[in-house]
Amino acid sequence: MAATSTRTFRPSAGQRRLGAKLIGAALSLAFVLVFNFFLFRVLPGDPAKNLTRNRLVPAEQVEVLRESFGLGKPLPQQFAQYVRDTLSGDLGISYKFRRPVSEVIAERIWPTVLLLGLSTLLSTAIGLWIGIRGAWRRNSVFDRVSLGASLALYAMPEFWLGIMLLIAFGVGVGPLPGLFPTGGLSSPDTELASLAGVADVARHLFLPCLTLTLAYIAEYALVMRSSLLDELTEDYLTTARAKGLRDALVLRRHAVPNALLPTTTLIFLNLGFIVSGAITIETVYSWPGLGLLSYEALRTPDYPLLQGVFLLFSAAVIIANLIADLLYAYLDPRVRTG
Amino acid sequence: MVVLAALLALTAAPGVTAQEQPAGKLTFTVGIVNDVDSLNPFIGILAETYEVWALMYDQLVGYSQKDFSPVPGLAESWEVSDDELTWTYKIRQGVKWSDGQPLTAKDAAYTFNRIMKGTFEQTNYGNYVSNIKTVEAPDDATLVMTTKEPSPTMLRLAVPILPEHVWKDIDEKEVSTFENEKDAVGSGPFVLAERSTGQFVRLTANKSYWAGAPKIDEVVYRVFNNADAQLQALKKGEIDFADGLDPAPFNSLKDTEGITAVAGDYSGFDELAFNTGAALDSGEPIGDGHPALKDKRVRQAIARAIDKQALVERVLGGYGTPATGVIPALYQNLTFQPADGEAYNFDLAEANRLLEEAGYKDGDGDKVREMPDGSRPLRFRLFARQESNTSQQSVQFMQGWLRDIGIATEVKVVEENRLTEIIGQGEFDMFEWGWVVEPDPDYQLSTFTCGSRSYKSGGDVLANLSDSFYCNEEYDKLYEQQKVTIDPAKRAEIVKEMQRLLYVDAPYVVTFYYDELQAYRSDRFAGFLAQPDPGGVVLFGYGTYSYRNITTPQAAAGSDDDGGSGVPVVPIAIGVAVLGGAGVLLAMRRRSSQDERE
Repeated sequence: MAATSTRTFRPSAGQRRLGAKLIGAALSLAFVLVFNFFLFRVLPGDPAKNLTRNRLVPAEQVEVLRESFGLGKPLPQQFAQYVRDTLSGDLGISYKFRRPVSEVIAERIWPTVLLLGLSTLLSTAIGLWIGIRGAWRRNSVFDRVSLGASLALYAMPEFWLGIMLLIAFGVGVGPLPGLFPTGGLSSPDTELASLAGVADVARHLFLPCLTLTLAYIAEYALVMRSSLLDELTEDYLTTARAKGLRDALVLRRHAVPNALLPTTTLIFLNLGFIVSGAITIETVYSWPGLGLLSYEALRTPDYPLLQGVFLLFSAAVIIANLIADLLYAYLDPRVRTG
Repeated sequence: MVVLAALLALTAAPGVTAQEQPAGKLTFTVGIVNDVDSLNPFIGILAETYEVWALMYDQLVGYSQKDFSPVPGLAESWEVSDDELTWTYKIRQGVKWSDGQPLTAKDAAYTFNRIMKGTFEQTNYGNYVSNIKTVEAPDDATLVMTTKEPSPTMLRLAVPILPEHVWKDIDEKEVSTFENEKDAVGSGPFVLAERSTGQFVRLTANKSYWAGAPKIDEVVYRVFNNADAQLQALKKGEIDFADGLDPAPFNSLKDTEGITAVAGDYSGFDELAFNTGAALDSGEPIGDGHPALKDKRVRQAIARAIDKQALVERVLGGYGTPATGVIPALYQNLTFQPADGEAYNFDLAEANRLLEEAGYKDGDGDKVREMPDGSRPLRFRLFARQESNTSQQSVQFMQGWLRDIGIATEVKVVEENRLTEIIGQGEFDMFEWGWVVEPDPDYQLSTFTCGSRSYKSGGDVLANLSDSFYCNEEYDKLYEQQKVTIDPAKRAEIVKEMQRLLYVDAPYVVTFYYDELQAYRSDRFAGFLAQPDPGGVVLFGYGTYSYRNITTPQAAAGSDDDGGSGVPVVPIAIGVAVLGGAGVLLAMRRRSSQDERE
């Protein structure tokens, strides 16, 4: 029976697989490292010129600036320097902010992870619950309402949803007062490491988190619902019922674990993008995250910063995929033998 | 499921209670749509950043609220020697840095010498010291500067004076990455208290400021990543001030209770620029500009085909004025007005006649004129900026008018970064862009000199300041002359004559001077001062006048001092705002990037 064989683990084959996967991930990362360097240098715009545009800066001074960025050297030499520095853990100095790239990123990564992490967690949990319940009681009132709502939310542009929620709950409509701030992560003059500070951040976090959660719930609910519906027609469920198992048990032990596979893929795909932020939501709610930082970096173009954030984004996606791959093999024996 | 609902509720719960600000502190919150890039005066470049520095630091000489004329700053008074080469500034005594140390002429001398001897330090301020030979402080109250040539900009040195005892420990290498965020020491009316990247900058009042203590306790600049959220925050009262507004939301604010909207005269202009014959500073031709635009008769004809009044009304929603010269009208002493017979009034028939007369006829009847020798039709590439609605709307109107005079245009909308490159290489015919002009005209005028054209460095052609590749010996001569003319009236004459040359030769058709649209919570604050007075902007000008004067409306009414009189009356625009109200709510809009071009 499928349910028992998933619990066996074959170490030698597993180790081989693990090794191959790890090498694959490392190669992808190396490719990204090389690719990024050339990709960003194709962007229009000369950083030194753009940073001095329309300001009282004589041409000689622009040259000094260009020189200080190391842009005066031939490209192969710049590339060698970049690879050397990156491998030794030095991401360089941002052109625009004039601070180490690692520091600039570190400052922005926790708001992003906080927002995206929490909303992914919430939307996964709620989405799966809605999907399972809807599929199990197909065509019930709950199913019809949740399906309609999911489709509507799925079709809604995040930006529009964000602005609407901002106006309704941030500014207030009619008798409803504006309960939440219109943007930002915390208020000035607040000690973050205090109870008041945590409450302040939570208050700022509420609307962006709500928007993202609503936007993601639909995806999980729809995928979970359809894959569970597929499972429900399988013979083994009839067998399980025939054995006299209770409905809840059939659902929990038999149907859901099998239906979870496509959803797992989706979850890990989304997890990989957690660090790259949600640029639309960061824009609507003025959230100081990484998504917007990468956009700002593109405008200069700030090569070291761009290389830094894209390396991070790629690494996150690659690692999430790696985990999903390995987990998948554990969850589904067909992957392992095939 | 119950757990999840509880989790959501928990997140929401504090919202009900934490709304109020701590009582007893008067905080003025300004919304900004670009985060301050760096608080180190040698690094930052954005207009928002310069505004914060103006609060943190003093300059030797300031700009008057009324008309930008030089007024005492850290220098109480000044005089120039008879040979016009030595400037002696008397430095204000008794001024203290925010850490309690006395501020003396030595700090000023240190700041200037550091810039003159530095390399990285030159990026932001090199232009101001290029003509200075020596800077010395013979005693604590005297600063003496000598110049290589007589220089009218010695009262326009926009250099923040820094404390020597702090910056002497930051060496040439460290200065390029120094944050200047923790315990930053300044002498200005406000002191930096807190910075959170991407979120806000908080400053507290310097209650012993030499020009009088600010009446408010704090200024907070709060970063918004989009203009609509900023607008909502102003309506809600989360912020007290917003600028860079678009006409439609601005109009909606005019009728909102508790908010005062100000369309302030601003120092920016937009132009239609021509490729007048792209070349390097050495004279070597580059690019692929259309030959017809090298002929000033064609450019003059186009100047008559641009309806500036229509652009003001339909693109700016009425918030601006048709322009003439490259020095905006708010600099009254320097701006240029053509004589009656000289002006290019909007007249399509006259424009057509001029083109016929110059030999650009439509020989093949396709409604597009050709070069006099019939070789090439007058088909121009016209660039607009992706980042600016104003730019894109303007070129659409221009395209229509040019069609009426037998000129075909191919409109291309590109990013500003890309356009800068295209212009630098001379690979364009026309484009729409703009400048923000400082109170001193030198920089703006320098962009039209032959030496400001693109240059070669290691085989690459690199853009310099000139974007029309205008080159006129007579103009260059006048430029050099104004650079050494100290008498303001005489210099103004030269500056106007230079603008006349530009008007006649038409490397630019300067389209309009736009207003800066600002709004503030007049139910919370009163006492804003316009610069220039009357009619100007109340914040983001040249100085800290409003910040030091504003207070609560109650306090302003009670004390009955000058407070209220500075509030400008908003000129009500004629014409219809083109932008639809509904679209505005949804459209994600960033402030015109001109604001960061300063």
